[in-house]
Amino acid sequence: MRWLQRNIRPEQIRELSLLLLIVVAVLFFGSLIDGYYTSRTFNRIAASVAIITVVAVGQTLVVLTRSIDLSVGSIAGCTAYFAGSMAAAHHDLPPLAVVLIAVALGAVMGAINGVLVAWGRVPSIIVTLGSLAIYRGILIDYSGAKTVTTDSLPAWIVDLPRLTFVTIGNLDIRAMFALAVAIVVLFQIGTSFLNVGRQFYAMGSNPDAAHLIGLPTRRIVFSAFLLSGALSGLAGFMFLARFGNITVEAARGLELQVVAAVVVGGVNIFGGSGTVFGAMLGAIMIGTLEQSLFRLQISEFWRDAILGLLILLAVASDAVILDRLRALWARTDLKLVTRAEAEP
Amino acid sequence: MNRTTGHQKAVAAADSAYVLNLRNIAKRFGATQALEDVSLALRAGEVHALLGENGAGKSTLIKVMTGVHQPDRGEILLAGEPIAIGSAAEAQRHGIAAIYQEPLLFPDLNVAENIFICHQNRGAITDWRGMVREAERILASLGVSLDVRSPARGLTLAAQQSVEIAKAISLNVRVLIMDEPTASLSAHEVANLFRLVRDLRAKGVAILFVSHRMEEVFQIADTVTVFRDGRHISTRPVREVTPQSAIADMVGREMGLLERRTPAPHGEKLLSVQNLARAGVFEGVTFDVRRGEVLGFAGLIGAGRTDIGLALFGIEPATGGSIRLSDSERTIRSPRQAMALGIAYVSEDRRQLGLSLPMSISANITLPVLSRYLNRLGLIRTGQERATAEQFRKRLAIRTPSVDLAAGKLSGGNQQKVMLSKWLNTHPTLLILDEPTRGIDVGAKAEVHAMIGELAAEGIGIILISSDLPEVLAMSDRVLVMREGRQMAIFDRAEADSETVMFAAMGQTTQPAITGAAA
Repeated sequence: MRWLQRNIRPEQIRELSLLLLIVVAVLFFGSLIDGYYTSRTFNRIAASVAIITVVAVGQTLVVLTRSIDLSVGSIAGCTAYFAGSMAAAHHDLPPLAVVLIAVALGAVMGAINGVLVAWGRVPSIIVTLGSLAIYRGILIDYSGAKTVTTDSLPAWIVDLPRLTFVTIGNLDIRAMFALAVAIVVLFQIGTSFLNVGRQFYAMGSNPDAAHLIGLPTRRIVFSAFLLSGALSGLAGFMFLARFGNITVEAARGLELQVVAAVVVGGVNIFGGSGTVFGAMLGAIMIGTLEQSLFRLQISEFWRDAILGLLILLAVASDAVILDRLRALWARTDLKLVTRAEAEP
Repeated sequence: MNRTTGHQKAVAAADSAYVLNLRNIAKRFGATQALEDVSLALRAGEVHALLGENGAGKSTLIKVMTGVHQPDRGEILLAGEPIAIGSAAEAQRHGIAAIYQEPLLFPDLNVAENIFICHQNRGAITDWRGMVREAERILASLGVSLDVRSPARGLTLAAQQSVEIAKAISLNVRVLIMDEPTASLSAHEVANLFRLVRDLRAKGVAILFVSHRMEEVFQIADTVTVFRDGRHISTRPVREVTPQSAIADMVGREMGLLERRTPAPHGEKLLSVQNLARAGVFEGVTFDVRRGEVLGFAGLIGAGRTDIGLALFGIEPATGGSIRLSDSERTIRSPRQAMALGIAYVSEDRRQLGLSLPMSISANITLPVLSRYLNRLGLIRTGQERATAEQFRKRLAIRTPSVDLAAGKLSGGNQQKVMLSKWLNTHPTLLILDEPTRGIDVGAKAEVHAMIGELAAEGIGIILISSDLPEVLAMSDRVLVMREGRQMAIFDRAEADSETVMFAAMGQTTQPAITGAAA
């Protein structure tokens, strides 16, 4: 126990137990659904997880700074439609340009949120609730309620979801899933080893102290929203590739899945603690649930209700369990310190 | 011409002997002149103690030095060069750091990160290993053993102070401000802290040490400066200062501005408190209050006076001792219970615990006893509500065009009167007033004082908690002095003067303190 307490932090225990929970969920659904353990199931889940993960990474940054971004679904919808219609109109656009268009549009939308929260001093929940509606409204107006169809898209986008990055055994790891994992790794390293990354944690942990020691608090909040927007833009492109047909309803309700992934993944909704890696575990949990419940032919409404329940459970258990664990850890720390003091 | 140049050179030379030189600083907040033409100079390798009563301007000066507030007038010289400190970050760049009574750490970050978080020039990539090694080295040099990889959450206050000092050392500060750093430390921890302070002094750091503990000031300081009412009173080498002279400088305001209240005849014993305690906050508080008596609570901020009020009103219930009301023993667990027993508590915090600012004056006044204003259908009888409000408006001279006005629209003094009305409307027998005149103008203050006199004459027992010493002395029949959660003394009206009370509040025992039994 002592060894455990010295080398593992309560927060990490949470992530480990989530991993266990995912295994339990997979075994549970495997026993209910015939032909569950197939590469087809894996790819379906992975495709869903990839999109949730990319947005959840950005959401994690925002939540770490004590804010929330509810507009991610609308941003992804807008960028999916805009990038889709651009690609449909100009088949000769290089793939990278289409991706960059999506990311840049998302970044602009995120930047607008960021300016309003950081400099306008409007609470983020209000700003992004507003932009959730406004961005969706802009999409409806811009699209004229028309649909981007799979037929109109260049072949490379349509084929992208089946593009395999690497094959392990009989599992094909798709390029889109690999991209999501790469983003998680990139941001996990960034938040742990870059000074700017650590400032997100400082900002959320104690905003007053962050201001008093001279951290650029507004820029930190702004860049969290900027990155969240840019990643939502990337997710918009992935959404376009996955579904092909993009209506004005595209990615509606994504924010629920993403916030669920983030809090289930152990990111504290009051800021300051949690990891990008944890958010990915949360996204895997949510993606698995979503696809498996779909296979069980449970209606969309019940799936949303279950997500809502998960959010409540995660936040409530966060408060109770983590406090208990921390108390346990603090007692051990105290013992260690007293022992160290008693030694000389 | 030559003489002028010579003179200027001499001035410049004198200035550069000081690390930080504040000249003629003035700062005003609304109606309060927090600092008036204040000068203070800090030398390298010197511990400079700053003394003053509550509201003397110490905190404001610290905030000016750390870039939180901008002075209205005056200049700041760093090593002889005029500088502007526009933000906390700028103060840090100039090598000025502050340690507060409540350390400002990041609970989710680990100790090493907390120490190095302000090093924005350490490159883009966090060198975890180097940081941990460096943090361990600094803490070891301070003689502190902490796991630098564990989060700051859950560290003791003393450990947090050590982390703050390590942070200051890692920044190579030239000026270190310590604002009551010892307030929550044990004697052993204070001794450790002082060892660190002496080390820093030996390294040539200029230290500004703010403390209410007189004995500590004499232990550690080289120079002592006293502020009073936002003005600089004296700066002397510590050997020329005695506790008596320092306290005289601190309180030496002209008395007689406030007229002493004519005491009302005291009735039977209303409240009797024995050894009241709240774990970790205050203990051993024993006093009683009679009908028509005003018992003043004096002491410095954080001495535990408000906490006694909160305990008696059940907001933060006592954990030990006994409370007797009209000769029957009571435990008070909630404000509702306290109100039923005839206790009312007028909070020092008008905005947070006092008034609902967007609601009308009349709604605020009737809120605690709204059930008295309901008709048979359970609806509020607004006519009766307004009649009550009108009564109080006349009685307390609340200046407002209408009682339907939102309470937030009133001036501070009138808000205070609304709050008083609200609690008087509960028909209390014991009224606890916590800082009833803070932040209100002189006229309103006199009216509140007159009101206190009238209420006492009506036979209400009053506990008056105030940081305004002349006010406590003028209004009270007896004065209870608190210091760091302990009751130091109870003085009778005749014995209580500002120096005696301040001596007790600062824990000095050189003057005979009479631990008074009930009058």
